Amino acid sequence: MNDDRLRLLLRETPVPGAGEAECRGLRVVSRAYDERRPAPRPLLPRLALALAAAALLAAVVLSPAGAAVRDWIGDVFAAGVPNAEPALTDVPGGGRLLVNSPQGPWVVQPDGSRRLLGRYSDASWSPHGLFVAAAARDTLSAVEPDGTPRWSISAKGRVSDPRWSPSGFRIAYRAGHALRVVAADGTGDHRIARSTAVAPAWSPLGQPQLAYVDGRGQVRIAASESGRGLGTAKSLPGIVKLQWGEGGTVLLEASRRAVQVRPLRAGTPAQGIGFGRPRWLALPVRATVRDAAFSPRGTTVAVLLAERWHGGARSMVWLFGRNGTHQLLTVPGRLSELAFSPNGERLLVAWPEADQWLFLPAGRGEGRAIGGISEAFSPGTDAAGFPRVAGWCCAAVRRPEG
Amino acid sequence: MGTESGAAEQTGWQEPPPARIERRLVREAQHGSGEALAALYSAHWRRAHRAAYLVVHDAAAAEDIAQDAFLAAVDSLDRFDRRRPFAPWLHRIVVNRAIDWVRRESLRRTAADPASEPDPAPRAEPLGEDLMGALAKLPPEQRAVVVLRHLLEYTPGEIARMLELPRGTVNSRLRRALDRLRVLIEVEG
Repeated sequence: MNDDRLRLLLRETPVPGAGEAECRGLRVVSRAYDERRPAPRPLLPRLALALAAAALLAAVVLSPAGAAVRDWIGDVFAAGVPNAEPALTDVPGGGRLLVNSPQGPWVVQPDGSRRLLGRYSDASWSPHGLFVAAAARDTLSAVEPDGTPRWSISAKGRVSDPRWSPSGFRIAYRAGHALRVVAADGTGDHRIARSTAVAPAWSPLGQPQLAYVDGRGQVRIAASESGRGLGTAKSLPGIVKLQWGEGGTVLLEASRRAVQVRPLRAGTPAQGIGFGRPRWLALPVRATVRDAAFSPRGTTVAVLLAERWHGGARSMVWLFGRNGTHQLLTVPGRLSELAFSPNGERLLVAWPEADQWLFLPAGRGEGRAIGGISEAFSPGTDAAGFPRVAGWCCAAVRRPEG
Repeated sequence: MGTESGAAEQTGWQEPPPARIERRLVREAQHGSGEALAALYSAHWRRAHRAAYLVVHDAAAAEDIAQDAFLAAVDSLDRFDRRRPFAPWLHRIVVNRAIDWVRRESLRRTAADPASEPDPAPRAEPLGEDLMGALAKLPPEQRAVVVLRHLLEYTPGEIARMLELPRGTVNSRLRRALDRLRVLIEVEG
């Protein structure tokens, strides 16, 4: 037995109950720390408890090799294992989904019925779900949810990432590298920035203000009519997502390695918007961030993480909120995206390797797993690629009773 | 968004975070950041817990020992010198307490029943069964140096400082322990 073999044995010999011990230990240590430490800072407080709760379920996940799949799953599924329903027959939590697939975007009604909108590559809801902004090569279109086109404009460059403003009056989109804004009736198309690195994000307050990342890696907030800059700060390196939260008072920035929340201070029109010091969310050291999103009320951040495990990978969903951190789920393999329901009570998480969508309760309740997702959005084709959820709409839409 | 994780990780084994990040976490934990403390915990718990278990061979005791070490870290956080690495300080507490626990248990067993055998190693998966059985036949001081050298990868000089032993003693314990382990694993495994 050489040194390498000995090291391997020492590292891999199972420790009974390791996961649970880690969980209990963090609770005890965090409590002791809370009792001694000074008052916590105001933004996203009590993340110590956060990680306590997070590792709590992580502990379950870190049980010895060969654990059954049920050992990986959090407590959101009744039987421990998501017993997947064979097909999408309703949208758990209600509302309508907009789903981008290799064939184009689909609108999914609350009863699970689906309609393909056409040969578009990317789409997003208008704020009340009355229209969809859809991109196809160098064209931006507004279409009704039944697929009826209302208008189209051509752009210089490939159109992507259309985002309808919360007021409903404007659509921001990327054309090639440029960031542009057009009125909701297809008029007044104009450029805001020469280049942008990620999808733009509208202020949730209904003001015509747009956050984006420019080609030099600066987060900028601009007035969408004039293009006038209102504030600038250096973005998180490698940023891939930008989103407003907490009623427009913070910006979330996510990269593969980190998620941070940056407070914003609104000044006078002349002063613009001030960027505060960002606060990062405590994530496992070696985990990769695959997605992150604010809840609709902007008070909770959901983070989808992946890390290598036993020569494969595992994925986790954590919630960071005012009351601490909660780990919703851990599964083997890779989860690819997450989306909040309009009322914030559910999270849709995509699990391509299992061909499932997982509908997780953000609060109390049980989760549901629905299988057959690829087939549902690529019927009768060999089109590759798991569908992506482009939006979950809208708070006001309910199924009529009776 | 994103791609797969970076560094490989086997069976939950964690490499320590880079020194620069660890210093930052310690500094922020000293300033009241619960996130930083939790990140420190997350980065170090598994190695500390495993080290304790490999010395004491008792899951409950290992958990208590690792937990006590972290509580001691919390108690001493304000006085901790950030220029020093956190892990050796934590591991020193863990391993010394683990050795003490084994000695205490041996005395207690001897007092209760002089004829009693040492506790067998807990039932482990086949992968570690031979190793745990062999480690159980070593005195706790030898188990500790094996764990510090080959699990936590400290140099004999560092181990000597952690256990407050002459370096020659560390080397001789290590040599005897490895010789014995090789015999036990090859003969019995």
